[in-house]
Amino acid sequence: MTPDKSDVLYGTLGLMVIKTLEALGPLHGYRIARRIEQISGNQLALNQGTLYPALLKLEQIGWISSKWGTSETGRRVRIYVLTRTGRKQLHKEEAQWQRAARIVERFLKISESRS
Amino acid sequence: MTRLRISLRRLWALVRSRQMDREIDDEITSHLAEATEEYVKRGLSPDEARWAAQRSFGGVPQTKEVYRQVRSFMWLEELSHDVRYALRTLRKSPTFATTATATLALAIGTNTAMFSVLNAVLLRPLPYRSPEQLVMLWTEDPTQNLREGRSALWDVEQWRAQSQSFADMATFDSVSTVLTGADGAEQIVGASISPNLLPLLGVRPVLGRSFSTEETEQRQRFVLISHRFWQARFGGSHDALGATLMLNGLPSQIIGILPADFQIATLDADVWEPHTTRRSVRGPQTWFVVGRLRPTVRFDQAQAEMSAIARRLNDQLPAAERRQGISVVPLNLYMVGPQSRLALWVLGAAVFCVFLIAAANVTSLSLARSTARAREMAVRAALGASAGRIVRQLLTESVVLGAVSGLAGTLLAVVGIDLIRAFGPANLPRLNEVSLDLRVLGLALAMSLLAGILVGLTPAITAMRRDLRPSGEEGGRSVSGGTSSRRIRRALVVAEFALAIVLLVGAGLLVRSWWYVSNIDPGFRPERVVVMEVSSPTTFNIPAQRADLYHRALEQIQAVPGVESAGIIDDLFTGNPREQALTMERDAGTVSERLLFTRDEVSADFFRTLGTPLLRGRFFSIGDRLEAPRVAIINDAMARRAWPGQDPVGRRFMLGARDADGPWYTVVGVVGDMRRQGLEREALPQIFVSLAQNPPSRNVDVFIRTSSDDPLAMAGALRAAVRRVEKNAPIYGVTPLEQQLGTYLTQRRFQTSLLSGFSVVALLMAAVGIYGLIQYSIATRTQEIGLRMAIGAQAGDIFRMIISEGLTLSLTGVAIGLVGASWLGRAGSSLLLGVSASDPLTFTAVSLLLTAVATAACYFPARRAMRVDPIRALRMT
Repeated sequence: MTPDKSDVLYGTLGLMVIKTLEALGPLHGYRIARRIEQISGNQLALNQGTLYPALLKLEQIGWISSKWGTSETGRRVRIYVLTRTGRKQLHKEEAQWQRAARIVERFLKISESRS
Repeated sequence: MTRLRISLRRLWALVRSRQMDREIDDEITSHLAEATEEYVKRGLSPDEARWAAQRSFGGVPQTKEVYRQVRSFMWLEELSHDVRYALRTLRKSPTFATTATATLALAIGTNTAMFSVLNAVLLRPLPYRSPEQLVMLWTEDPTQNLREGRSALWDVEQWRAQSQSFADMATFDSVSTVLTGADGAEQIVGASISPNLLPLLGVRPVLGRSFSTEETEQRQRFVLISHRFWQARFGGSHDALGATLMLNGLPSQIIGILPADFQIATLDADVWEPHTTRRSVRGPQTWFVVGRLRPTVRFDQAQAEMSAIARRLNDQLPAAERRQGISVVPLNLYMVGPQSRLALWVLGAAVFCVFLIAAANVTSLSLARSTARAREMAVRAALGASAGRIVRQLLTESVVLGAVSGLAGTLLAVVGIDLIRAFGPANLPRLNEVSLDLRVLGLALAMSLLAGILVGLTPAITAMRRDLRPSGEEGGRSVSGGTSSRRIRRALVVAEFALAIVLLVGAGLLVRSWWYVSNIDPGFRPERVVVMEVSSPTTFNIPAQRADLYHRALEQIQAVPGVESAGIIDDLFTGNPREQALTMERDAGTVSERLLFTRDEVSADFFRTLGTPLLRGRFFSIGDRLEAPRVAIINDAMARRAWPGQDPVGRRFMLGARDADGPWYTVVGVVGDMRRQGLEREALPQIFVSLAQNPPSRNVDVFIRTSSDDPLAMAGALRAAVRRVEKNAPIYGVTPLEQQLGTYLTQRRFQTSLLSGFSVVALLMAAVGIYGLIQYSIATRTQEIGLRMAIGAQAGDIFRMIISEGLTLSLTGVAIGLVGASWLGRAGSSLLLGVSASDPLTFTAVSLLLTAVATAACYFPARRAMRVDPIRALRMT
């Protein structure tokens, strides 16, 4: 009974979130958003607001958990942590994503050589 | 698993949706603040930074909306939204909300209370193991009009030996018991049961043990006591076990305590003694018989087998008793007879009719309201609400209404149940079990939902239909208020009147029966007569002692000032008498027959005291002493039965069969019939013998006719008179005879007053219904009325038009209802007495009453319609 991938990954956003949390440890929403933007070299024009429904969904399926804490700037923020399930799932998702990416890549190459 | 977890989290989110709303607000605020701060660090002005932060975040409301969708179940959120909206709209129209809630709550409350009675008395299984296998077995003799007759132990032994259908049979009966204690003697209710009765029922003592068959055969004096007796006398202490009671002058040891509320059939005793079932000869004593069927045996199979056994046994009986049969009656049917069952179902149906009328009324109200809200609905539709969404909103509103009413109704029912337990007919079995259990609560819930759906469905459907048309226009001019909804409302009023008349006819017929019953001549004059029950002390074992005691007590009582006369009978009100053999001298010779009759010892002044008329011959006199020839007085029914068409005075009879060696009695007088089984039952054949010539019973009823209008005030003096003769004679209550007679009417009074109450409520609701409709119809037709007046209609024409609209509806309802009532009346005719189910007087009176009420309900709106000012009405656009 795994949830619908497209739902969970929200167009890969979910994968980016958990990867970020794996790499940097517990973070609050704004930091996650900034990190994703930075990694993508600011190429990914993310509507930062869309991050929150994605976080909620990940929390509902138990891949991340959250608690209220304080940011470096002293604000009350909700801090998200990767759970054990989330960590396991991340590796699966990574592998799956890479496979999918390779397929698409190969597919694109074939199409290029034809034209 | 994951999906389950999501659902749980979503449910949780639903519960704390407000807090979660606040949390996401906080989170977004923090996010924006962090972003702004970072932009400021990069060199933007605070204002520019704020804008930039918001730009990169995207739309805050949209984010929250998506977030909320993810968070919980959309439909549940919408539902809770709808419910909140419904509560808000109901609060905004308090008149509608209060009227509707009160109407529905009243209906649901009465239904719930009534159902709790049905549930306890009819539906809940009897408190025994596998109660569906339990039956009562009766000796019957159709030629003697003997039904539900007790049976001899010898017969029961034969039945048990010969039948295959029964796992076991047990016998029981009440026995008159005198308990002697430190405070003197007192009468308590005792029972005598065969030792296998409790195992047969599957009932075990809560404390101690039951009797064994061996102990019973050895005639060891053991008793079981009721839970109530245990609490009252021993304070629930374990010391009760092994304690000794003096019962009828003999010590008996308590060996067990029965469960609370234990009773068998209608026998509810305080002490339970065993009797041995072994009999070598067929003795005169008879018992109630209860049997347990083997698991796979049906009632009709058992009945067939017992009928065959009865035929076989008849060959062994004396000729006079050869017409006996055996009937098998399920125990629950015996405990609550067909009459009570029918009455309860009728009341249940009646109260459901009240519910339907209430629902019709509220539907009508809410239709009127939804017509008025057409514009609101049109606006909502224009703003993008789908038809389904609007229907759901309307249904939610009515279901919320139903739920609130259901809650209020349940509270009403709690009060109602207390009232029923306090004032219900005491002779209705199992009334003490009436309570608000899960099934009753379930019914209340179901009715609330049903009310909600019934009330909301019609407005919702009409709203959906209206939705298809451009409703802005209709809402604006409100010419007709929606023709379809008006048609429905008219139909509802017709239905209300039809239901109301059915109830009113039913109540009318019951009231007529009541009137008839309470005017039945009981055969004696109970006014100013009091009854005092007196027992002789247990040491008075010689009949002459008792006769002397009663004789002297009567003398003392008669000497009390205010006493006109006093008389004694062993027991005035008889239960089900047993049939007995009687040998009579007739013109054709001496015959023996088994007859159903009572035989009582009475004192000389008994008939004069009660006011029972002498039809022939003479009363007993002082001359009828012990040494004189034995004499008897019979009643008219006995005279007709024993010596049809002949003068019984001077005839002789003997109690028992021809070969019995009893004394012969000479009939010296014939008295009028007395209804000694309650007013509703025909007088039985009765024989009265003289107290002076026969061994008197241990307990007697002393009747005292007084010259006082408040005879109870003399109770003290009367008791003292008896005490002067014998201070140890137990005396039980002194009650007015009228009150004792009244207890036979309680069940009928209960039925009659309840059904009358229901029908009055129905009548009022129907009146309110038609009033509301006419009122509303006039309000929406003001312009039409103005126009009519402008083109020449007189005020009288308008008045007639309105009245005739109302009357058409009510008369249609009345006509339909009368057909239904005459059909239903036949079904319930066994509840009636002295009035036919199609009694023309009742039907006419009720039709007139309802028509009058309808006219009155239309009169006031019609008067207002007459005063419509045509000019103003026409300007009103």
